[in-house]
Amino acid sequence: MILEVQGLAKRFGGLQALDGVDLSVEPGEFRAIIGPNGAGKSTFFNTLTGLLQPDSGRVRFEGRDVTGTPPHLLARLGVGRTFQITSIFHDLTALENVQVALLAHARQVWSLWPKARALHGERAKQLLSLVGLGGALERQAGTLAHGDQKRLELAIALAGEPRLLLLDEPTAGMAAQERLESIRLVHRLAQELGLSCVFTEHDMAVVFAVATRITVMHQGKVLAEGTPAEVRARREVQQVYLGVPA
Amino acid sequence: MIEFLSQHFSWAQNPVVVARQVLAGISNGMLLFLISAGLSLIFGVLRIINFAHGALFMLGAFVAVSVLSLSPGGGWAYVGALGAATAALAVFGAAVEAGLLRRIYRAPHEFQLLLTFALVFVLGDVAKLLWGREDHSTSVPALLDGSMRALGLTFPSYRLFLIGAGLAVALGLWLVLHRTRWGIFVRAATMDRGMLSALGVNTRLLFTSVFAAGAALAGLGGALAAPIVAVGPGLHVQVIIDAFVVVVIGGMGSVMGALVASLLVGIVNAFGLLAFPGLAVVLTFAVMAVVLVVRPHGLFGVPE
Amino acid sequence: MKPAGRLALGAAALLALPLAISDFWIFIAIEVLAFALYAVSFNVLLGYGGMLSFGHAAFFGVGGYAAAILMKKAGLPPGVAFAALPLVAMVAAAAVAVVVGYFSVRRSGIYFAMLTFAFQMLLYAVALKATGLTGGDDGMTGLKPPGLLAQPLAYYYFALALVAPALYVLFRLVSSPFGYALRALRGNPRRLQYSGVDVRAHQLAAFVITGAFAGLAGGIFALSSGNVFPGWLNWTASATPIVMAVLGGVHSFLGPALGAAVYVVLEVLISGKTEYWPLAMGIIILILVLLMPEGLTGLARRRTA
Repeated sequence: MILEVQGLAKRFGGLQALDGVDLSVEPGEFRAIIGPNGAGKSTFFNTLTGLLQPDSGRVRFEGRDVTGTPPHLLARLGVGRTFQITSIFHDLTALENVQVALLAHARQVWSLWPKARALHGERAKQLLSLVGLGGALERQAGTLAHGDQKRLELAIALAGEPRLLLLDEPTAGMAAQERLESIRLVHRLAQELGLSCVFTEHDMAVVFAVATRITVMHQGKVLAEGTPAEVRARREVQQVYLGVPA
Repeated sequence: MIEFLSQHFSWAQNPVVVARQVLAGISNGMLLFLISAGLSLIFGVLRIINFAHGALFMLGAFVAVSVLSLSPGGGWAYVGALGAATAALAVFGAAVEAGLLRRIYRAPHEFQLLLTFALVFVLGDVAKLLWGREDHSTSVPALLDGSMRALGLTFPSYRLFLIGAGLAVALGLWLVLHRTRWGIFVRAATMDRGMLSALGVNTRLLFTSVFAAGAALAGLGGALAAPIVAVGPGLHVQVIIDAFVVVVIGGMGSVMGALVASLLVGIVNAFGLLAFPGLAVVLTFAVMAVVLVVRPHGLFGVPE
Repeated sequence: MKPAGRLALGAAALLALPLAISDFWIFIAIEVLAFALYAVSFNVLLGYGGMLSFGHAAFFGVGGYAAAILMKKAGLPPGVAFAALPLVAMVAAAAVAVVVGYFSVRRSGIYFAMLTFAFQMLLYAVALKATGLTGGDDGMTGLKPPGLLAQPLAYYYFALALVAPALYVLFRLVSSPFGYALRALRGNPRRLQYSGVDVRAHQLAAFVITGAFAGLAGGIFALSSGNVFPGWLNWTASATPIVMAVLGGVHSFLGPALGAAVYVVLEVLISGKTEYWPLAMGIIILILVLLMPEGLTGLARRRTA
């Protein structure tokens, strides 16, 4: 198991955002987490990655207990993440964005003297080509189109050589066709690079196109889990999503 | 140990001294409250640290001095002075907000800081130009002069009047904040600015009125303080720092916090000056730093 | 003209300058050098790191006082003390910056700013009250470099020999991986965190380094002006580096140095004619903030575009 979550819980004042979430991901999976808004998906990612401290529960990555480990340490262990609202360095060029991520991964950010411009340029270009941004190297990241910014964020995440990639709504804000293209790109890259992925998603077409397994969350708990066919047939899922009466 | 106590706390044996210090502390606290309440509200709603707030206090004092010099001693002149200072500063505050501050709400924080600093420099020198470099003094109006006896001790009447005036303003402010529409908007703005424009509130007018109100309170404070302080161009420098300490301890955006913290600081200052004259000032800033480290939203502020 | 050419010209000008001006103006030039370093180091924190500190004057002041105490109270021969001055000023300022920074970077935005401000005021109070060490309200006076270096011309070259390399070091710093990460941090600290960087440690390091260089500037200036006062640490002083940086332009590395030059020269010229320098400064700042937000270098860039 590359990721094992047991009983993860998080409360905000009167709201139990996560109510004992159990999740296991095998290496090589392309796992989708679905659920209505407010089901706790983003909170799950935030608590998983140590941005928030869990109230209780355990998180294990590659067998190692990482419960509550802060994001920067978890990143160094091999967990990458993208955000629902695209999270890049707007004032830097696309190339500099990826260079920074590579410098961080190479533990070079405490280097005070060498000229950073000359470092990791080739690798950065390689990653940008991989995500389809080979022609936008010198563009200021803030000026890129929404879809390109998402690709850039993917390149930044990949720069950290993660073995597990967490993607929060990777296709948010895109038109339907772009969404399928986008998730297929991620899926292909994951297979080529041997990554395991967990992603949250609203669009069922996207989910059923690529997911190997699906976890359904509802009100901070896991409602159902299984292969796409299994999950589609489950009564509870139909109720929660389609409003089929109990 | 005994020596330490006797050196620093010998005054504690004398009830007259203690009582006088408590009174001084509370009345100074009230003046501090008038400045800090405005400063706190301005921060809570506009999210601007108004370094020029001390200058507004100073201008209020100068206006009062000028009005009183026209008709000295008269009780009505004194009321007029209070009213003039409050009104003048309200108008001035509105003008500053609408003319200057409004232009830089979207600018990076350093610009807002620089703007209020610039006002400090400009207003300080303008005061010098208008009223000269020397300190002015004005006397306590005859009606409020003298002293009153209570509990076998005598207290200066003006100090008691200040306490009463401060409490009246505090009460008035509370009523306005909790019983009027404007007050509700102000309190809501302190908690969540974004919601306000979504609700259709005229935020422009709200911001201007809040700044004007804060300036008016500072002006009133200055006018009330005029009879008992040296009104000179250096006045604003002294008061703003105490006001910052109060706002930090009380909580930025909270009027109740400003009241409690003002009284605390006023009393601690009064006794601190007696017991540890050298350290009082150091202690004040140490407390400010500690509060910011441990509980940045102060006693009554809204946590981020 | 290429940047290298411009730099060479600038260097030549700086070397030749004191030969062409009176002693009075050499003192002003030294002040400009010190304040240029002060402003540029401050801008590494603001323009590059996105951290607005209201308390940077604390480090300039600590550097100044460290220099003064070293020269007057450490009981060392003047030559030895003076030789140690740059290091002592930087280490003293850095040490203070570690403490201030440790507590301040745990907060962000306005609370960070207020914390740095509170610490500066705390140091102001200490400077005012620790009369035995700091001379209290009177400050410390009569500071002089030893022997021949007391000549303005000689001290100018000494200051240049410290400031120019210091600026170069800072330039290498912002061009380094550390500097890249700092710029990334300004834009999106959370993204940087998730890429494996301990953001708080990074901010603290930037805080300490820029504080140290501000301290060096303070030490250099203290021996040129001959004195240090608590006023260097007073709250009104906290605006000075901000004004200089914004005046010059925060988006360029040397912009703040230009801002410092203009600021110092304006102050000298205007205070010479009138006592209302604060009024003039206030008006200049208002014009800057309302009409010239990009600063002088921004204007220049617009003209050439």
